[in-house]
Amino acid sequence: MKISFYPGCSLEGMAKDYFHAIDAVFEAMDIDLVEIEDWSCCGATAAHSLSEAMSVILPARNLAAAEKMGLDIVAPCANCFNRLRYSQQIIKKKVFDIPWQVTGDIQVHDMTRFLAESSMIKLIKERVLKPLNGLKVVCYYGCQMVRPPKITGYTDYENPLTLDRIAAAAGAEVIDWSYKSTCCGASIGIARKEIGESLTMRILQKAQQAGAEAIVVSCPLCQSNLDIIQKDRPDRRTPIFYFAELLRLSFIAHGDPKWFKMHFTDPVPLLKAKGLL
Amino acid sequence: MQNTVSHQKGMAEHEPGKKRKLIGDRGNYFLDRIQGEAGVNISACFQCERCTNACPVSHFMDIKPHQAIRYIQLGWREDLLKSSTIWVCLSCEMCTTYCPNEVDVAETINHLRNMAAHSSITPKEKSLAVFHQTFLEVLRKSGKVNEFRLMNAYYLKPDIFQEKLKNGTLKEELLLGLTLLRKGRLKIFTPRSRAIKDIQKAYHQARGEIG
Ligand code: SF4
Ligand code: SF4
Repeated sequence: MKISFYPGCSLEGMAKDYFHAIDAVFEAMDIDLVEIEDWSCCGATAAHSLSEAMSVILPARNLAAAEKMGLDIVAPCANCFNRLRYSQQIIKKKVFDIPWQVTGDIQVHDMTRFLAESSMIKLIKERVLKPLNGLKVVCYYGCQMVRPPKITGYTDYENPLTLDRIAAAAGAEVIDWSYKSTCCGASIGIARKEIGESLTMRILQKAQQAGAEAIVVSCPLCQSNLDIIQKDRPDRRTPIFYFAELLRLSFIAHGDPKWFKMHFTDPVPLLKAKGLL
Repeated sequence: MQNTVSHQKGMAEHEPGKKRKLIGDRGNYFLDRIQGEAGVNISACFQCERCTNACPVSHFMDIKPHQAIRYIQLGWREDLLKSSTIWVCLSCEMCTTYCPNEVDVAETINHLRNMAAHSSITPKEKSLAVFHQTFLEVLRKSGKVNEFRLMNAYYLKPDIFQEKLKNGTLKEELLLGLTLLRKGRLKIFTPRSRAIKDIQKAYHQARGEIG
């Protein structure tokens, strides 16, 4: 199986570990991820905020490249996924001129939904060598992957389950909770720290109250927000995993602690205590 | 009767020198413009406040989301473009998702943000506006956004640098930057994407520059 891959800027920097984990997981699953050649930034929230035209045009360049390859796209970042889908919808309305040949007809998948299909879950279960038994997690989806439903196509946007299914397939004990898609503040913390903190801390608190030892995410910005805020707070020790990190860990007999060195809230002690490292 | 008179007097005293805002004196020009440009049916709003109740940051906003919709109906353009609301909004799409009348509140607020960015009004939340601006500057230079460059460019903006210096958070930010570097989370060099030329051209077109 072959699918085109739009990593997005974060996966080259802040979320390099996510990139490596995805690479390992897809290789193990024999799915050929073809990185879109010479891809460019989707514009994220900034383009949308300051220039509506650019928020359609910037993702369109990558859509055009994937259409040329004749492959659907899978995007690991929630915001990239959302912007690509948004661009497709506006392209079809024909209200902006797009400098590239693009129809908006290919399928853009968010990576978690791609992997949560029943055939993929079956494949994951076949690959699991060391189930993550006893690891209690909650799954956190954030905003851009699920909302607004008319863009993302999620029908269960109030109680999304893709990450839950993936984490459960890897053997983790997935706990239900009510804060799956409550906003983490995105990039607002960079300019207005107190707003960001109020949102992020609540999510951590609720996860802890639900009995979670770790949080599973797919969005690089959610990961950074929830992870970095815990530095200098010794009372908070909830590691924030990318779902791909957990899959990778479950796929082989001996994981490597070095995989987690980019984390601020070190997951290694927890994984060791559970006999998973 | 007497009640009404004293009430009006009270209002006038409350904001001395300020004329009371009139309802309905501005026609539908602004409403029609936003409805057309943003493709949102703002007239459908019946002020149920569900959007505001769903919003995670409404308490940081001066004009609440449902009020913003009403302001558009009334044509109170400057108030909206001067508000903190348009910059504090996270584009989290809660309001849009829960509006019973399918008013796309998030897209509407986003459109106001676009309008404000292209107006002479100084953004009330300058640091938030500058962050978006810096993001796009970095994007235009290399076609991708490298977080290391983004943060450097952002903190070196005169307004931001001074603000950080004043509130004493500069050191903290620097230390965080160093930790991120040490952990390998920042990439110092990003090869330029071949996209830059295409992107710059699209920018010129979006800004109405011909040729
Ligand atoms: S939820 Fe919709 S109808 Fe209710 S106040 Fe907000 S915009 Fe108006
Ligand atoms: S999109 Fe903006 S206005 Fe709407 S709920 Fe989110 S933060 Fe509030």
